[in-house]
Amino acid sequence: MKPQRKRRLTTVFLILISSAFGSFLIIKALDSNLDFFFTPTELYAQNIPVNKRIKVGGMVLEGSVKREKTNIIFEITDYENSITVNFNGIVPDLFQEGSGVVVLGYLDKDVILAEEVLAKHDENYMPPNLEIEK
Amino acid sequence: MLIEVAHYLSILATGLFFLCFLFAFILSTKDIFIINLVSRVYTHGFLFLLVSFLIYVWLAINDNFNVLYIAQHSNTNLPTFYKISSIWSAHEGSMFLWIVFLCLWGVIFNLFTKNIQDLKAKSLGVISFVAVGFLLFLLLTSNPFLTILPIAPENGADINPVLQDPALAIHPPILYLGYVGFVIAFAHAIAFLVNGDPSIKWESLVRTWSISSWSLLTVGIALGSWWAYYELGWGGYWFWDPVENVALMPWLAATAFVHSLSVSTKSSLLRIWTILLSIIVFSLSLFGAFIVRSGIIDSVHSFANDPERGLYLLGFIAILIVISTILFSFRLSLLASDKNIASWSKESFISINNIIFGTLIFSTMLGVLYPLIYEYLYDQKISVGAPFYNAIFIPLTLIAGIFLFFSIDSKWQRSLKIINFLSPMSVSLLIAGASLFLFNYFLAINDYWILLSVFVGILILVRYMFVIYEYLFKRKYSNPYSITAHLGLSILIISIAFNSEFSSERALNIRMNESDIYGGYEIKFDDLRLEKSSNYDAVIASFVLNGSDGRNFILKPEKRKYFARGQITTETAIKIYPLKDIYMTIGDQLDDGSWIVNIQLNYFIRWIWFSAILMAFAGLMLAYSLVRGKR
Repeated sequence: MKPQRKRRLTTVFLILISSAFGSFLIIKALDSNLDFFFTPTELYAQNIPVNKRIKVGGMVLEGSVKREKTNIIFEITDYENSITVNFNGIVPDLFQEGSGVVVLGYLDKDVILAEEVLAKHDENYMPPNLEIEK
Repeated sequence: MLIEVAHYLSILATGLFFLCFLFAFILSTKDIFIINLVSRVYTHGFLFLLVSFLIYVWLAINDNFNVLYIAQHSNTNLPTFYKISSIWSAHEGSMFLWIVFLCLWGVIFNLFTKNIQDLKAKSLGVISFVAVGFLLFLLLTSNPFLTILPIAPENGADINPVLQDPALAIHPPILYLGYVGFVIAFAHAIAFLVNGDPSIKWESLVRTWSISSWSLLTVGIALGSWWAYYELGWGGYWFWDPVENVALMPWLAATAFVHSLSVSTKSSLLRIWTILLSIIVFSLSLFGAFIVRSGIIDSVHSFANDPERGLYLLGFIAILIVISTILFSFRLSLLASDKNIASWSKESFISINNIIFGTLIFSTMLGVLYPLIYEYLYDQKISVGAPFYNAIFIPLTLIAGIFLFFSIDSKWQRSLKIINFLSPMSVSLLIAGASLFLFNYFLAINDYWILLSVFVGILILVRYMFVIYEYLFKRKYSNPYSITAHLGLSILIISIAFNSEFSSERALNIRMNESDIYGGYEIKFDDLRLEKSSNYDAVIASFVLNGSDGRNFILKPEKRKYFARGQITTETAIKIYPLKDIYMTIGDQLDDGSWIVNIQLNYFIRWIWFSAILMAFAGLMLAYSLVRGKR
């Protein structure tokens, strides 16, 4: 093999190895930082570890919103099952009973301790999965 | 009546741009007569489009609710300023503005470039082709000229209240100007590849255009971040929302591109990279439009869920990318350089910077698309949150920062010399290292990533202080634009690190005339009143804050209910000090009469936007100096 060609081959080989290694690291970082999305029904069907961050979406159940000092406690429903959410802080302006909501947090004994509560900016918004059934 | 005129004018413009594209690619552009023709046809196409847009603005100002889009997004109660900005508050009008800006860059280029420039006619042809693609998209799938007949509604549905804000009124136009400005670089790259003459230095022709677009993109992103901070009431400056990410990707690519340009304008090195990057930057800008407009990804920015629009855009972008890639691979030999990059030279550092930026773009793209792929494969909805992006961006940015530090001492096409003990380089290392101990000891910062970020930030900052000193007092030449932009980067790294280390927030439950204590402030709930405005009712709370540091001030967060849409919005109250913001929002009233308020202490947050402004300023000054240098 000519020395020039040999050098070129080594370069290509090195680039391939390093980009494979880089991609491996990136995908590993990705896999350990995914937030899975569930509806309340899906949540009951699966076994979710306590320290896993999850997203739960549905409608805020009418008449379920309670407040205790700076905490707000409400239920998310998909009109089959419901799950209780506990959140410390101010909920978004569009948050109201009977409208769509997505929470991000951890499951702890049938209660979701939420870190974030999102209500969609679009007033016509429906959480995914509910859209199809209605 | 006028709206039909506007409609016909934009159809005419589409036709003229198509002619311009045909002339540029079918006729011989070596002939000066043809170049003059292409140039004139382009200018006229733009004039038609501009008049069409101006008519549209005029109709919006005069509340012409015959026009469906204006009826849906404007209102007679709005101030004129917001009547105009309502045009780009939703999909159709945004696309219209986007296209006008695209063609505006083309016309400025057309007017300020002599017709003898080798690539001019073909570049205008490429710009026209892109314009035709988007105009057809506008007219066929998202027509802003549709009317309500025979009777117009009495009033419009109003612009979304959170968009009634000066920063947000100018955020989209500046961002769009930045995005589409890269059409000039893209068009030249394609024209260069079609032309096939390697002696033409297309890189130096597009430098001014690319750097000004980069600056506008920087300002546009910073404006969006600033708006989200004070308007949405969550605090924070960046949420890794998919639409923020699709704006970040072109910015990263553009940053790599302008660095790469500075190498290839000086020598034939990195030409392949530069041309590839110019294609990538523009494709990513269009990809951003696709993601936002198709509604394929849930986000606060996505306007409409219309698969037809998404498919059209995706198809058009695919055509552009396929054509450019084929051209690129056929003409690869044109770009080959016989020189090698010397190790530890300035070029080598810029190459490493390019690789790092490439990795960042790839990771962001993966984060944006992975949820779609995952759902398709496993029928399970997922999202990729901040932890992923932090895990990628923090280490890679710090590595890039360290290479930047070494590159300051490096020379073009020569290896970096060995460092002696008293060089600015080693002194900077010592100072940055020493400052770490101080921060660790006095401010009790223990997080390794924070310490490392502060180290890299200070390292760059101190090194540039030496450069500035030598520049000012020893008349040693260095590039002032590069210094300013990179100082911006070091300030950005330091302020993000401090922001995440020191900032805190808490929700308080507080009654009228009572007080609570948080973050060294005694917060007294002083007053609550109702106020009426022209288009909303407001509840305004008033809090007196007494700081343990002797600083006293009043914060008045409010909640508004807008009449037209019945929408409730939160208005934050912010007290700004050089190093921190005290940020308050008010929530709901509880049954016992007390209120929930949220208080945040946000450290160094102003410096984050300041650093972006510094970078953009450096870019604009460089562009200005290039324009002046040509005269």
